[in-house]
Amino acid sequence: MNLGISATEFVSQVKEGTISVEEFVAKTLERIDKVDKKIHAFITVDSQNALDKAKAIDKKIKSKEKTGVCFGMPISIKDNICTAGLKTTCASKMLENFVAPYDATVTSQLKSEDAIIIGKVNLDEFAMGSTTEFSSFGPTRNPWNTEYVPGGSSGGSGASVAALECLASLGSDTGGSVRSPASFCSVVGLKPTYGLISRYGLVSYANSIEQIGPVAKTVEDVAFLLNIISGHDPHDNTTAKNPKIDYVKDLATGISGKKIGIISQMTGDGVDKEVASATNTAISKLQDLGAQCVPISLDAVEHSIAAYYTIAAAEASSNLSRYDNLRYGFDFGTEGYEFKAFISKARSNFGPEVIRRMLLGAFVLSAGYYGKYYLKAQKVRTMIKAQLDEAFKKVDYLISPTMPVLPFKVGEKIDDPLKLYLTDINTVTANLSGIPAISVPFAMSSSGLPIGIQLFANSFKEKELLQVAHALQGTTTLPEITP
Amino acid sequence: MVEKKEIEHLADLVKVDLNEPEKYIKQVEQILNYFNKLDHVEFHSDDTLGIQIAKDDLRDDVNVPYQDSLIEHLKKDQNNFIRAPKMV
Amino acid sequence: MTKIGLEIHCQLTKLASKLFCSCKAEYRNAEPNSNICPVCAGIPGSLPLLNKKAVEKAAMISLALGCTIPEKIGFFRKNYFYPDLPKNFQITQYNAYGPTSIGSDGKIEIEGKTIRIRRIQLEEDPGRLVYEGTSEKTMITLVDYNRAGTPLVEIVTEPDFETPKQVRMFLNVLADLVENIGVSDPYLEGAMRVDGNISEGDGNRVEIKNVGSFRDVEKALHFEITRQQSLVERGIAVVAETRHWDDARRITVSSRSKEDEQDYRYLPEADIPIVLIGNRSIEQIKTQMPESIVAKRERYIKKYGMPTQVADVLSSDRFYSDLFDKSHNETNAKEVSNIITTDLMGLADTREKKLELKITPKHITDLADAIMANKLTRNSGKSALHEMVKTGKSLADVMSSLDLGHVSDASSIEKVIDEVFQEEEKAVAEAKQNPDTINYLVGKVMRKTKGKADPATTLEILRKKLAG
Ligand SMILES: [Zn+2]
Repeated sequence: MNLGISATEFVSQVKEGTISVEEFVAKTLERIDKVDKKIHAFITVDSQNALDKAKAIDKKIKSKEKTGVCFGMPISIKDNICTAGLKTTCASKMLENFVAPYDATVTSQLKSEDAIIIGKVNLDEFAMGSTTEFSSFGPTRNPWNTEYVPGGSSGGSGASVAALECLASLGSDTGGSVRSPASFCSVVGLKPTYGLISRYGLVSYANSIEQIGPVAKTVEDVAFLLNIISGHDPHDNTTAKNPKIDYVKDLATGISGKKIGIISQMTGDGVDKEVASATNTAISKLQDLGAQCVPISLDAVEHSIAAYYTIAAAEASSNLSRYDNLRYGFDFGTEGYEFKAFISKARSNFGPEVIRRMLLGAFVLSAGYYGKYYLKAQKVRTMIKAQLDEAFKKVDYLISPTMPVLPFKVGEKIDDPLKLYLTDINTVTANLSGIPAISVPFAMSSSGLPIGIQLFANSFKEKELLQVAHALQGTTTLPEITP
Repeated sequence: MVEKKEIEHLADLVKVDLNEPEKYIKQVEQILNYFNKLDHVEFHSDDTLGIQIAKDDLRDDVNVPYQDSLIEHLKKDQNNFIRAPKMV
Repeated sequence: MTKIGLEIHCQLTKLASKLFCSCKAEYRNAEPNSNICPVCAGIPGSLPLLNKKAVEKAAMISLALGCTIPEKIGFFRKNYFYPDLPKNFQITQYNAYGPTSIGSDGKIEIEGKTIRIRRIQLEEDPGRLVYEGTSEKTMITLVDYNRAGTPLVEIVTEPDFETPKQVRMFLNVLADLVENIGVSDPYLEGAMRVDGNISEGDGNRVEIKNVGSFRDVEKALHFEITRQQSLVERGIAVVAETRHWDDARRITVSSRSKEDEQDYRYLPEADIPIVLIGNRSIEQIKTQMPESIVAKRERYIKKYGMPTQVADVLSSDRFYSDLFDKSHNETNAKEVSNIITTDLMGLADTREKKLELKITPKHITDLADAIMANKLTRNSGKSALHEMVKTGKSLADVMSSLDLGHVSDASSIEKVIDEVFQEEEKAVAEAKQNPDTINYLVGKVMRKTKGKADPATTLEILRKKLAG
């Protein structure tokens, strides 16, 4: 049995009866058992429940009952998305024992389409990081070379899909957290338009800019998942009330006659040589398919990292206030403590990156500094969006490498936070402006490390974005991880 | 320049005990210096992004009790209260 | 000169659900932590869903206080740690950056004095702390989040009051106003809470918090003014600080708690989109506004010729004015207002008694009509009202069960008078000499008929018999 098939292939094979769900899920669990010691993509594996569900779905199929469109597809979920009855730790000691009493909207959407939640996957604590090294439960490693980081913060999502430990995953993307691991692990990852997917049940980090996003082996799979999890949610007032779109239909339309802008600020200085050359190849392949590529300058991108980290830190410091260990959290009694002493002690269980961002957030919001930092950061968002709107008058898509660098070694940048922040330069623009962006695996470096290409479209143009991503995907054949 | 006193004040605002405040001083200062880039941006608009909702699309005022007993999922103390530390 | 400003927190107790979730807005008398859900308990991943009616009702309060309502409103987070705050921030409104609060720049006239309203904002109430244990050592803190998320409207005035008496009058008007709009029952425990700030001359401002009931506000202000004035007389500067009202000792006490000088680090609440209210909605809300107390009072005086005092009492109480408006018609208005203001209000002089009244507009209409048609004396009417209020039974049922029907046919009254003449020979003789003593005989007839005899008929027959 080949665990390397795509989610879409899985569905057709199950429908044809060439594989059984139980068999596939059992093999997947075996695979997790075998490889996850090295990769550490999972925080929680829900083996028994997954097998029970698989049997139940096989039975449904046999008795010709109506089955959900996922047909028992094993999916992993980032551990900052709530799953009733299964721990949601956010890779933090603060939520070590936290079991959410409810399902996130995306979780219940997947469950009602008969997806099997096979487990919860690793992340940087509360999604703050771009390498998954800041997990309180230990780093996730890159399946292509375990000495390297898998990207982050949804490193567990990227790694679990790449290592064939599941067919697809849901991550969350606040500043590139879906696209960075997609790029580093050679899988597809989409950051949808802000408001396309419900955030109900996603544990907030920077709630004005983050979105849940699918991670999978192919663009088709991402489109398939988007069909299930997109749309207005009465539990989330920030979701848009747009008519439902079928993202799978017309995916192979092609891009002949389309215009693509190459973002100068994301392709020039500071981009790794091999990454730059892969980007150039991608551009010429797209031209071969009939697209016209032109350079586009977005000078506001220069301020994007400062604006992004100001907003993210400010919102994080407020979003993480609720973890005082009174109502839920970990074992630590209040006896003998005065309030402030108690919560300060409990909260010192946050990891160093979370503490750093909370301190920064408190600083930029404190009296007298709001106008200097937070308000200006908000104006940068407006500026970036205005420049993007101008750009999208001239072109249909924008292109850049997803990450300006190749995957680096575990521990290499962990002690220099600013240096790490700067690697987000190509991804934060989509979050600040709300537009969708996708990372498509495109090449392998000479050292065998993945390189992803990022494509952008204007707000709520996911259908068109998936079409260009699909076209790009068709221009390259990449190695598969051998089980 | 960020000083130890300032870091400790920030730590007090977000309620964390810093085991090694010195460790954070340099990093926070370095990052704040980077944020100062924002001071040099020339803006042509004071608008800020942000989504909007029409008043009529807001939630209707209807009482729907939570279907589950939430307190059973929380750290409850005597008589279903939540226990808090001493307040001084 | 004394300058006093107020911050009033008013719960929207008449709403069905909380400000950001569908739990009950009325949290009182529930088991601890039984009125909570992931949203109001701050469970990770939950998102606030703003209550439409809360926005509309807050807009009504703003309009009633002459405030401007902006086209867009926004919400902010006020960050501070306290165990009664499930998220350790409060969702509120703020008027410094971007979209603003529901109301601003209003004014209201109180006895010829203009009180300016700085702003009106919507926000969530925190939970409730309960302290148990006798000594400081054994004391424990328990939290009940049933109240967390209850909709509150905060009304902030400019420091335009000069005396505690003006404050009291303002608060009474405000309480009647929110009750009239139908958003709040201001007399419920904790439904209306007042903080004050006071300064003498150019002196520093002192905040006064923790005044339990708003009846105590006047006392707390008096105490604080006296304290500040005596400091000034002794040449001691007043310290800018927050003082708490000590309910037991009836004094204000300096609160050394640092919580009061917090840096709240306000930031926009991105989970709640900017709410577009728009001119059309504002016009619509205006048409839904109930008649103001002032307009109602004018109507009662002009249309029904009510005495000013009666109109005052009736118009300022939503419950009784509703009852009046639903039970009167062109002809019985005066009788109806009499029944309500003299008899009914006397029967229900407290809030609790008012809530227990089983009275309907039909009861009042029937009663007024019966009195006017001479089927019932005013005296019997009072008894009937008493019974209807207690049992909710119809007037007809009450009249027959208490035997209250009016006796107005001359022959039955004459029979009774004949009895009285036999029993009271001396009094009859006296009345023949001195007609002024006739009332004694009328009283006897009334007693025999249990007040049912028509007084006019009785008098007429008596006079005839005495003369004959
Ligand atoms: Zn609730």
